[in-house]
Amino acid sequence: MTLSTSEIFDQVCELMAPYNQKSLTLETGTTFAHDLELDSLSVMDMLAAIEDHFDVTVPLNILPDLETIGHVAEAIKNILDE
Amino acid sequence: MLKPTPTLDPDLPRRYADFTTLLEALNYAAKGIRGLNFYSPRGELESKNTYSQIRDRSYEIGQRLVHFGIKRHSRVALIAETNEDFVCYFLGCQYAGLLPVPLPLPTSFGGRDGYTEQLHQQMKSCEASAALSAAYMLPLLDEATSGLNMRFVGSPDTFEAQASKSEIKNVKLPEVKPDDLAYLQYSSGSTRFPHGVAVTHKSLMSNCHGIGVNGMDVNDGDRVVSWLPFYHDMGLVGMLISPITCQASTDYIATEAFARRPIQWLKLISKNKGTICSGPTFGYEICARRANSTDLEGLDLSSWRVAGIGADMIRPNVLEIFAETFKDSGFDKRAFMPSYGLAECTLAVSFAPKFVGYEVDLVSEEVLNGNVKSIKEYKKNGNGANYREVVNCGKPLPEYQLEIRDENDVVLGEREIGRIFVKGASVMVGYYMDEEATRQCLSADGWLDTGDIGYMAKGSLYIIGRIKDLIIINGKNHWPHDIEWAVEKLPELRSGDSAAISTPGKNDEEIPTILVQCRKRNEEERIELENRIKSEVQAVIGTTPTVVLVPPRSLPRTSSGKLSRVKARRQYIEGQLS
Repeated sequence: MTLSTSEIFDQVCELMAPYNQKSLTLETGTTFAHDLELDSLSVMDMLAAIEDHFDVTVPLNILPDLETIGHVAEAIKNILDE
Repeated sequence: MLKPTPTLDPDLPRRYADFTTLLEALNYAAKGIRGLNFYSPRGELESKNTYSQIRDRSYEIGQRLVHFGIKRHSRVALIAETNEDFVCYFLGCQYAGLLPVPLPLPTSFGGRDGYTEQLHQQMKSCEASAALSAAYMLPLLDEATSGLNMRFVGSPDTFEAQASKSEIKNVKLPEVKPDDLAYLQYSSGSTRFPHGVAVTHKSLMSNCHGIGVNGMDVNDGDRVVSWLPFYHDMGLVGMLISPITCQASTDYIATEAFARRPIQWLKLISKNKGTICSGPTFGYEICARRANSTDLEGLDLSSWRVAGIGADMIRPNVLEIFAETFKDSGFDKRAFMPSYGLAECTLAVSFAPKFVGYEVDLVSEEVLNGNVKSIKEYKKNGNGANYREVVNCGKPLPEYQLEIRDENDVVLGEREIGRIFVKGASVMVGYYMDEEATRQCLSADGWLDTGDIGYMAKGSLYIIGRIKDLIIINGKNHWPHDIEWAVEKLPELRSGDSAAISTPGKNDEEIPTILVQCRKRNEEERIELENRIKSEVQAVIGTTPTVVLVPPRSLPRTSSGKLSRVKARRQYIEGQLS
């Protein structure tokens, strides 16, 4: 079964609930740094949860390109499709 | 099944870095059966390397580098992954008489431009002639090296494809002397004006000797288990070069793996009976935070005898939580060993005595804020509302002379607070190709101004803070002027309008705080400006700061008109600025 990007996005949003301390409505454009105000350690906690859920490893070199939840959903989609 | 290199080696007598160069040390370690082991993020052994395998591969890489025609003493940038490629290229550069420059990996989400710009500035400042990284990192490295004059940019595979083994067979390697530089360390510098600490073989051997003998007291049963990055002095010198020079087997998990699953570090200690396993306070913090009951099952930390702590301000309450969390797993809190060091001294300056745990002085906020210059009371009973615990960082290594001095360079006495100066064989020869920056902290007769403040008591060093105004968040150093520069780019702000400081949080963690002079009265405009300042600072340091708007002309200046961050910090903490 292949997941669509929007299904992945929904699941990522669920995983992000503990990190959404400002109770924002999460959208594809929601940024980790500015909107959610996550520090680098919380980001890594969250990434571990996302990786475990999808059973993937997000390589280091794409981390600098991940600014929004949408970016993460797309990245997971690409890794799952490969 | 692959097995890691053994802890014990019955045939090789231990030597404590009493070598003339790192290469001599490697040669000696290669006579034994110990070595370095690299583990996957899920804790499986991926690669086992005896010191003799590492020596052979490094030697070959040295020949390749010479054969390629990179001129003696040139700088070679290495994106420092936690693997044997990095280790062998670092050592290969030594064989070839080149200067390796370990550079960082990305550590978090976002910030692509900031990351490549940082690499670019570091390579530019040392005029690197070659840059290597794993293949998957090359798009970022290509971006970072754009506009620089490079002889080679690529991966180990493409570099090694340039020449066959028979072509390099007869390549002669240069003689390496104790006073030659061994590498450049960039971990402590500003990102906008980086300067690399230049470390000689002599300094390196001297420091590793002190670490091995006086610090860790390495003995037969010792095994190192580390997650620290090789681009940081504590990871490079403490967890890689010290084990080589003292012939200890070491197990690594990558820093990015630790950041996601910190318990894997503890599991590895448990599995391989690690004894020397160090890190900054925040490393202990995330272990305690992320541990759950499944993780603790079967975990045995009773072998752990040196839990070194360094690199950032040591926070006792965090260590207490760690000790409590892992008490039932056999962790003995006497293993905590505070230390003090800085890249400008290769790595280590002092270590607390082994296996006594950490000791603290309770020091009043009056003292910490700089209003009182010497400590009379330091063991207060009862609640510590106005007191902070200051950790004993132990006695300086025997190689050092150490002085605490006041602002007029007068040497101070017992429990008097001042700047920490050190002199010794481990002190750097200077910042590479930056005489001015070197002159500012290193005197002609070899005394280094560490930029840190503290006091001595009964021969032990206590660190109170940094005069250099550095802000350290999760182990990463940030220079206030980098942050201020980013903020003052905003159109309505001018140069000198901001002061970046660090303020203590609830758990004594450092909260990055930016004080900004604001001329706006309109509440909405002020909030909007605050948000833009937050974004700018976030882009620099990866964390959302506290933004405080202060009235125009309220930030304190020195007599020469320069911003006084020390004063601004004190006024802010005392509630005089807002």
